[in-house]
Amino acid sequence: MAKRQAATAAVEVDKASFSYKNIKAIDELTLQVPRGISFGLLGPNGAGKTTLIRMLVGLLKPKSGSIRILGQTPSRQTAHLIGYMPQLPSLYTELSVIQNVNFFARVYQMNDKRQRAKRVEEVIRLVDLWQRRQDSVMKLSGGMKQRVSLACAIVHQPPLLFLDEPTVGLDPELRFTFWEHFADLTHQGTTLIVSSHTMDDAAHCDRLIFMRGGGVIAQGTPNELRKATGKADANLEDAFLYYIHREDKSV
Amino acid sequence: MFNQIFTIANRIIYQLIRDRRTMVLLVAVPLVIASIVGVSIPEKQMLDYIAPAVLAVLILFFGFLLTGISFLRERSQGTLERLMASPVSKLDIVGGYLLGFLLFAVLQTMILFFYLIYVLNVSFHGELWQIIVFEIIIGILAVCLGIFISVFARNEFQMVQFIPLIILPQMFLCGLLWPVEQMPEYLQWIARFLPLTYGVDGIRALMLQGQGLLDIGKEIGVLAGYAAGLMILASLTLRRGASA
Ligand SMILES: Nc1ncnc2c1ncn2[C@@H]1O[C@H](COP(=O)(O)OP(=O)(O)OP(=O)(O)O)[C@@H](O)[C@H]1O
Ligand SMILES: [Mg+2]
Repeated sequence: MAKRQAATAAVEVDKASFSYKNIKAIDELTLQVPRGISFGLLGPNGAGKTTLIRMLVGLLKPKSGSIRILGQTPSRQTAHLIGYMPQLPSLYTELSVIQNVNFFARVYQMNDKRQRAKRVEEVIRLVDLWQRRQDSVMKLSGGMKQRVSLACAIVHQPPLLFLDEPTVGLDPELRFTFWEHFADLTHQGTTLIVSSHTMDDAAHCDRLIFMRGGGVIAQGTPNELRKATGKADANLEDAFLYYIHREDKSV
Repeated sequence: MFNQIFTIANRIIYQLIRDRRTMVLLVAVPLVIASIVGVSIPEKQMLDYIAPAVLAVLILFFGFLLTGISFLRERSQGTLERLMASPVSKLDIVGGYLLGFLLFAVLQTMILFFYLIYVLNVSFHGELWQIIVFEIIIGILAVCLGIFISVFARNEFQMVQFIPLIILPQMFLCGLLWPVEQMPEYLQWIARFLPLTYGVDGIRALMLQGQGLLDIGKEIGVLAGYAAGLMILASLTLRRGASA
């Protein structure tokens, strides 16, 4: 039983499609993410990254195909297993940093007051905002809001984390700290799904997919993707362009 | 279950309390309006007739506007999306909003009530707790109306436009200034569909005619019916805008 549990993938998407009215945002996408790794969703604006994440967290139902997270269909029953950081910092701007984090901790049923207070402090220190904890979120800079938003998503220590462009607007030093922390999380067994446009983020992922037009055009480890270009000094940017050109030719 | 309702109510209360100016306005505006009513109507009998209606109208107005805008922001700033991906249910959210805002509604009612009775010397033959219970029913209706209408607004400007559409006609037709029975027949007919008409009738009965909650069963029934209907509509449409 325990063995089977471990064998189920963190995320399994089978030929899932989704359209907003007349725009096809996700087109028969298939994907498997094993547990305990950081998995990157890379692609240009409009590739469907956010739509895919919204489907995985259960906000959007696929029009066809199937989605499973940790072996179950996304629903309110699986909601406590995931953490979700939306693309825009979705926070109560008139509340303080600590009130925001504490609210989401309570929403995720961390009912023990002492434990909750301890954990809330821990995550606020992690995103380096403990000095600013009493400030209203509206008084923070863009990058600081982004950090509060991350704190709210991870406060309940979920086994599966969806982060929609978590590093946008962060300075290089913080970006580095974020990725260090993400590595810690995966070592503890958390699965991370991270969307991004930047190849710098991509290099930090254990595995990644290149998305375009609602589908997957390539997947593998950063090294595999670089090697496929056939050039010794290729970076991930080159790899992405290589796959786009290859796809354009085949159409 | 109740835990989550308290969590959300608690957050709403903090949001309002942290905003000092809103808190001051919440107390000051009803008193200013009551004073204007008091000063502009020198005839005691007329004042006795209009003052109770002001109680009902203000609760509907503030409940609608405050929840409408709060909920609109919950949608537009993306926190609703976060909540919908979390373990809280739609009923927890509606319940939390109700509890949070009704606390302010009760406070507002009490302040306004004492001001009317002791400062403006409005006649009163009833019991305060019955008035609070009745105001809570109007408050529930107002909160659900606010959540529901916020689905149709994309920003604060649009939300404010709904006041002349939804609140003003009710204020004119509910019998606030002129008895419904003396209006043209077709207006009476329209008034009979407007919940505020029942709110005003009910609160006059409680304050002026010395009747109790049991005597105004019809008014309570109609208001509760509207509140229940709006609550269902609010929960059904709540998700909209969270992800699309
Ligand atoms: N709420 C919406 N209503 C209608 N169309 C939408 C909506 N959200 C996204 N789309 C469309 O779906 C497609 C995929 O959008 P999505 O937001 O998933 O892209 P993305 O990869 O996250 O882009 P970005 O990098 O800009 O965040 C786009 O064509 C977009 O216009
Ligand atoms: Mg996006």
